[in-house]
Amino acid sequence: MSEPPAVVVQNLTKVYPVYERSPGILGALRGLLHRKRRDVVAVRDLSFHIAPGEMVAFLGPNGAGKTTTLKMLSGLLHPTAGDVQVLQCIPWKRQAEFLKRFSFVMGQRRQLWWELPALDTFRLNASIYGIPRVRFQRTLEELVSLLELQPLLPVPVRHLSLGQRMKMELACSLLHEPELLLLDEPTLGLDVLMQRSLRDFVKRLNRERGTTVLLTSHNMNDVESVCARVLLIDTGRLLFDGPVDQLIVQFAPSKRVRVDFREPVSPDRLAAFGGSWQDDGTAVEFEIERERVSAAAAQLLHDFPVVDLSIEEPPLDDVIHQIFRWQKPRPTA
Amino acid sequence: MAEAQAHGLKNLSSIIARGPRATHNLTGAEETGNDRSVGRRDLFALTTTRHFVNRMIGRSKYVAVVKIAWQRELEERLSFILSRSRGLAVLFSLYFLWSALLGSQASVFQYSRRQILTYVLGMSILRALVLGSATDNLPSEIVHGQLSDLLLRPIRPIGYWAARDVAVKGLQLGSAVVEVAVFALAASTPLYLPDRLLTVVAFPASLAGAIVLSFVMSYGLGLAAFWTSQSGGPRFCFELVLEFCAGAYFPIDVLSSGWQAFFSVLPFPYLIFYPLNIYLERVGPAVIARALCMQAIWIGVLWIVVNVAWRRGMRTYAAEGV
Repeated sequence: MSEPPAVVVQNLTKVYPVYERSPGILGALRGLLHRKRRDVVAVRDLSFHIAPGEMVAFLGPNGAGKTTTLKMLSGLLHPTAGDVQVLQCIPWKRQAEFLKRFSFVMGQRRQLWWELPALDTFRLNASIYGIPRVRFQRTLEELVSLLELQPLLPVPVRHLSLGQRMKMELACSLLHEPELLLLDEPTLGLDVLMQRSLRDFVKRLNRERGTTVLLTSHNMNDVESVCARVLLIDTGRLLFDGPVDQLIVQFAPSKRVRVDFREPVSPDRLAAFGGSWQDDGTAVEFEIERERVSAAAAQLLHDFPVVDLSIEEPPLDDVIHQIFRWQKPRPTA
Repeated sequence: MAEAQAHGLKNLSSIIARGPRATHNLTGAEETGNDRSVGRRDLFALTTTRHFVNRMIGRSKYVAVVKIAWQRELEERLSFILSRSRGLAVLFSLYFLWSALLGSQASVFQYSRRQILTYVLGMSILRALVLGSATDNLPSEIVHGQLSDLLLRPIRPIGYWAARDVAVKGLQLGSAVVEVAVFALAASTPLYLPDRLLTVVAFPASLAGAIVLSFVMSYGLGLAAFWTSQSGGPRFCFELVLEFCAGAYFPIDVLSSGWQAFFSVLPFPYLIFYPLNIYLERVGPAVIARALCMQAIWIGVLWIVVNVAWRRGMRTYAAEGV
């Protein structure tokens, strides 16, 4: 018998009321008497499932509805319509057994007590989550070692830098060893090395404990290195649900062909290959349509003094950028 | 590298386990905290009072909240000192006002000298114990989305805020008792000491009712922030009215009987005025019973209001700012 999904979302919709007023003093005075209400549909008829142990990226431009969806999955928000089940629980009922099994790490979240060292909040969470002492000590040691927190433990949180605080917040959220990890921009404010450590750590959590991960990030390195599957949304609608590779194939019409020549080649001869290309002497990079790549590569090898030739998919960053720049998404298959 | 890491972890272990209180903060016991897997050795340990108390204290998430809230209050020494300065200013001004009103008379407004001066000193202590609250921060946490951190953790929000209230009240009370004791000694204030058995029972009961009533009222008011981001002004006005009607400036029976009748149907006089009048033995058993009943009724009514407001508020909560 197969395990039930970790996350089930069906026809989820969230509508927010937004009250508008004109800018300036006059606007403020008018706002005393009358405010214009506008309903904003943050999430629209969203449906997807996530299996236990899956690592999924939730992508979309600012205001696409990613964080709103995560807030509904964590029980912070009640949906306007639709059903959600997370770890077989209804999130907004806030049952203790549910809350003990997941963690929501937000870039801007502040659960640490500002005036006190983070270790005090760690201890508080140990009590709140009912973490046995031995397990708490073991997990904390692991997190401290991985995130290099030891010198920071006795320092009041207000004296920590943004990146240091982020690391502490992350450690605090992972102390109870959640089954499901909702990560909203987890690498925000972290240096490159720390971003990499964090990604490795998340992958290790998934590998060793089977932790399910749903991640939003504008950093495509996070997505490519951690997640196998992507949910792409815009204006609250699901545009794509599938593997990262398939996203690239579906939305990027061309591949990158890089060629190193033994000697400089006339640009006129290369123009016949079409697409866009960059020349830095003996190295040329083409953007060639997928259907023409094999034929073009064969012709290049045959007609030119080629030393090396490589064919690559465009970076995910560029694909996502192109999707939201041109707003030409194809419907989900 | 590995050696350095091992050394670091050793240091960490000592930080984590530093001090017996810190150890008990976590679980209160050496063994794992899983009730279902308590072994024979643990059961034996549970039979000893020390282990039992440690276990209960260590396991309570609400006790942990009280402890960390105390730590925070002690970190913010200046705010604490300023809040106590306000209490002292009120104490001084009211004490000397009533002393002046008394002059050479033996009584004023049917209060003996001993009773009215005890009322003023008692009022200072009850202000700290009953009106002292942490829920002032609740509206801001709702408006700025910090409530989300609480909602994501397995703890009841009302229990969390009650625990923070206990922490604030504990510190304020400790400080107020010392201030009043020093003041009473320095001013040689004649104090009223009750001698009826009924008072020994009824006064603590009315005090407990007042503390719960004050918390439910203050928490309910804080929940208004679910619907308006500007609850600070109304709260300030409400607190002024509350202190006036509660008898936190003067006993409300100095007012006309019409006002007294009006106030007696409101929850406010049951916070300070009635508990102090029970202590001063100025009310009989019938009034005591009525005061305790009114406290219970208001707690019940406000408890329902708070629960309804919480449920509806959670439906409108937008978790903004996070």
